[in-house]
Amino acid sequence: MNRRIAIRNMALILGSAAVLPSCLGDKNNSKPIVELKHLQLNGDEQQLVANLAETILPKTDTPGAKDLNLHLFAFKMIDDCMNKQQQDDFKAGLKAFADAADAKYKKSFNDCTVAERTAFVNEAEKDIKDKAKDDAKMLTFYQTVKQQTVFGYTTSQYFMTKQVVYELVPGRYNAMYPAAKKEAV
Amino acid sequence: MPTNTYDAIVIGSGISGGWAAKELTEKGLKTIMLERGENIEHIKDYVNANKGPWEFPHRGGRTQKMIEDYPVLKRDYPLNETNLNYWTNEKDAPYTEVKRFDWFRGYHVGGRSLMWGRQSYRWADVDFEANAKDGIATDWPIRYKDLHDWYGYAERFAGISGNKDGLAILPDGDFMPPMDMNVVEKDVQKRFKDFYKDTRHFVIGRTANITVPHNNRTNCQYRNKCWLGCPFGAYFSTQSATLPAAMATGNLTVRPWSIVTKIIYDKDTKKAKGVEILDAETNKTYEFFAKIVFVNASALNSAWVLMNSATDVWEGGLGSSSGELGHNLMDHHLGVGAGGRIEGFEDKYTFGRRANGIYIPRYRNLNGEKRDYIRGFGYQGGGSRQGWGRDIAELNIGGEFKDAMSEPGSWTFGMGGFGETLPYHENRAYLDKTKKDKWGLPVLAIDAECKDNERKMRIDMMNDAKEMLEKAGVKDVQSYTTDPVLGRGIHEMGTARMGRDPKTSVLNGNNQVWDAKNVFVTDGAAMTSAACQNPSLTYMALTARAADFAVKELKKGNI
Repeated sequence: MNRRIAIRNMALILGSAAVLPSCLGDKNNSKPIVELKHLQLNGDEQQLVANLAETILPKTDTPGAKDLNLHLFAFKMIDDCMNKQQQDDFKAGLKAFADAADAKYKKSFNDCTVAERTAFVNEAEKDIKDKAKDDAKMLTFYQTVKQQTVFGYTTSQYFMTKQVVYELVPGRYNAMYPAAKKEAV
Repeated sequence: MPTNTYDAIVIGSGISGGWAAKELTEKGLKTIMLERGENIEHIKDYVNANKGPWEFPHRGGRTQKMIEDYPVLKRDYPLNETNLNYWTNEKDAPYTEVKRFDWFRGYHVGGRSLMWGRQSYRWADVDFEANAKDGIATDWPIRYKDLHDWYGYAERFAGISGNKDGLAILPDGDFMPPMDMNVVEKDVQKRFKDFYKDTRHFVIGRTANITVPHNNRTNCQYRNKCWLGCPFGAYFSTQSATLPAAMATGNLTVRPWSIVTKIIYDKDTKKAKGVEILDAETNKTYEFFAKIVFVNASALNSAWVLMNSATDVWEGGLGSSSGELGHNLMDHHLGVGAGGRIEGFEDKYTFGRRANGIYIPRYRNLNGEKRDYIRGFGYQGGGSRQGWGRDIAELNIGGEFKDAMSEPGSWTFGMGGFGETLPYHENRAYLDKTKKDKWGLPVLAIDAECKDNERKMRIDMMNDAKEMLEKAGVKDVQSYTTDPVLGRGIHEMGTARMGRDPKTSVLNGNNQVWDAKNVFVTDGAAMTSAACQNPSLTYMALTARAADFAVKELKKGNI
């Protein structure tokens, strides 16, 4: 199959599996991308997560986080699998992340350029490695988004069938398989 | 002649119940198999078996709702969205934990034969002699020679793949060709052998996954999705193996939704007449009658059925005259081991997902060695190459990071111990009449714990794992241990033990209840000691042997 068509089909499949877009009124500035059951995020907050996911796994010559709806996957995981405390921490961390970006660039993370977002996220990565900043919630929020984005990516049909080889029925076990041929596990 | 009459009744449809049904029907007995839960039809009802990983909304994870609904199952790996329907609804069927006991149950046709780990090892003489030599609990009424042929019989039918390693501690069986070790496991095995010579052994796991076609079953396709149910019937389960054989005789009736509430005991003949059931869907009571009853409800539930039976004769239930019914509850203690990194082999990978690993059989307290505990432990483990989604130290985010995820990571090797738990009289299950399940039946209370012997053994289990991996060339070895919890091994045993004396055991050497000779218990309840090998193959052998005995006795008019 043509790769572009495959990717487009994939986006359709993933999109249809996700929660239906909300038609409810906005509590805040913009319309949420999806209505979640437990985790209440306004449109700006959801956009921030989507932009952050795209910063972590950007579109290159292969699809990025937004193409693959990885932000929707992250929302679903956080909404369904995290408990109330974790969700509250996530929200608090998101606010801290947004505020820190505002303070640094005098505009929202969503309004930042790709270069600015990348620089900002690289700084967060550095803070995590150096344990430099004591903003645990912000960094936990960032790590949660990264973890779910990466998990969503590496378990997506796109990745498992186009980036590596996945066979539902391998049919044999080759204990000495050349590593150059990638197989999903 | 009452209606609902058969030659034999089998209570339960898991590994041992399926075997009882197969053996009894093949010997010509009209048999009814009573299963408390729903029917799961082979292949058709394995609803998730052909899904890609991406088709699960949480990619196999667990939601808060699942965690709330399954307060026990959530404690370990079994809780996940891929086979949730195979695990017992804990709200409908609760139990009481006097001490923490992780009881992971499957109430449906096939029972835990659908979700089991499939590792299949014979026990050795040292295991059957252990209680007698140590002077604890009671002696097994049988020895390895009594089960030898039955092990072979069970292996040939079930289909066990394995290597003939020629070890006294882990007798060889009638195996199908073994699965391969991967490149790293072969390397670890070589170094292991160079260092330990013939004092310790490192072998490929022996598993109930067939490696050649067998009885209309397709050989293993290396999907490693066994716990979803196998559309190829490549691993042994009731559905793939014993049930079709039993159905083919025309002698089997299967009745799902049948909770056996008691065995009907006849004081005059001192035998069971049949069983009483509660239909789990309609709440109606029915009676079934038969010449023999096989109790295969799993160790704890088999004890529950017996405790609920003949209480007008024995307060503690059928088989309680020895005072041992429900006692001596055992499991294997685990959650201790080590793992590390393997250098090299970057150009090698594996293709296919092998549902098996390596095994290190017991080596402690053998050949005259005396540790500060008795018995021993084995290890299961394997080498694997880290996949995508791993932490990539040099790359944080961006396009290169994305691309790097499709490259395999470094090789790792890990293994965990399975330790023998001793049969302690005070480790027991009993009826908790203060609490009722959805059907108004009293629930089980479980009061059992690991003791000093297990705790001392675990120190060796952790330290030995680290030492062996280091000797075998594994780098950065980290060992781990956890507080031992019974039940977590999902190898419940001992609640209606076999023995030589009716005063100290519930069953005799043919798995007959001393107090009712036409009642046989051949699941984990029958075990007199626990050894450290996975026990299911022994249940299969014991069941086939007991069924053979039962039919011969029936023909002789003895029961």
